[in-house]
Amino acid sequence: MISGKYTIIRSAEPDDAYAMWRLYDPSRPRSFLLGPSREVMIPTQDEMREMLARRDVIQGSFFAIEDRAGEVLGCCVLRGAKAESDFAEVVVALTDESSYDSPVADEVYEFLKKLGFVDKKLNKLVAHCLCNETGYRAFLVRHGFTSDGIQREMVYTKGRYFDLESLSLFNNARTGGGNGSAVAAP
Amino acid sequence: MALKSSVFIRRADREDLETIVSWMEDPAFQRFLYGDPARSPKQIREQIVGMLGRSAARTLPGGIYFMADSTKYGPVGLFSVVNMSWRNRSCNIDSYICEDRRNGMFSTVAFYRVLEYCFHVLNMNRINIYIYGFNTRSWRIFELTGAKQELVLREHVARDGELYEMYGYGLIRPEWDKFREFFLKRFKGIDLQTMIADLKSEEAAKVST
Repeated sequence: MISGKYTIIRSAEPDDAYAMWRLYDPSRPRSFLLGPSREVMIPTQDEMREMLARRDVIQGSFFAIEDRAGEVLGCCVLRGAKAESDFAEVVVALTDESSYDSPVADEVYEFLKKLGFVDKKLNKLVAHCLCNETGYRAFLVRHGFTSDGIQREMVYTKGRYFDLESLSLFNNARTGGGNGSAVAAP
Repeated sequence: MALKSSVFIRRADREDLETIVSWMEDPAFQRFLYGDPARSPKQIREQIVGMLGRSAARTLPGGIYFMADSTKYGPVGLFSVVNMSWRNRSCNIDSYICEDRRNGMFSTVAFYRVLEYCFHVLNMNRINIYIYGFNTRSWRIFELTGAKQELVLREHVARDGELYEMYGYGLIRPEWDKFREFFLKRFKGIDLQTMIADLKSEEAAKVST
């Protein structure tokens, strides 16, 4: 558990199922709702509970974000950390869109950055956002993420297509920067 | 220009296992297609066996595997249509053409026909193609079809201890329609319908002799 000035970040548990399920709001398409085939997923609460009980999936990678009063504000994830490719995807999912422009989100970002770059010694963090997620995109850019490009008409939901943008942030503490740089020893 | 090609595409089958396994000896097969360093040749073989398995016919398969075959030269390549999303009407295409046939029109004709299958038979709206930065030959084919380079993922894929770029290409329906119109005018006979008609007439000729 990480106790910050504005948040408490801890491993997500099956009892967080309801709070996490609230994030899956189909009226507001968000990149973290996308499943493996980039389809919008709307799990049931039981499925959320089952997923949060799978230790292999969540251990050390799926975190609940609480405010200092103990209310769950959302979750953050560091997923797909592959030792050979040296990168992982970060997700910061906050219930309230305006929270991305607050110290709460900044504190979550610092936590994920440390987890990825210091603890897991990754070279790169990647993130995705749909074209309507302006607050989330601004948050990522404010923290140094740069765009890798936009995949057009990638996701179909609510009767129309949405573009999906990929962003990345490199570990400045590591050498490299460019094509063909050496993989760090594990 | 009328195009007469011996290349046709067909479903990859269990009988193709030996051919595909023999392609595994080609370093390019693993480097470009199944090169995840974390997977052993045994795991790759198991994946191939799985994708060629004779599972019961399903109306909505998760992936379709094609052999690019030639009446003259035999099997020349493999195309995988995977990560199919029926909701987004999109899929990914992976391809491999055997070393002897990489020059010439084989890959272009076969790739065109796979695209036509995806857009006109599967009714896709978008095709995703991910290519490693060092696979220069493939970019040219994809760009020729009108696919746009949308993503440049730096230091993204590890090969032989080094990190390389990965490119994401996307081809959406209106671009494909435009390209198809142009291509069919230029290379009459490249389409799937002609391929099927040619195969039928060859079959009929064989029967009559």
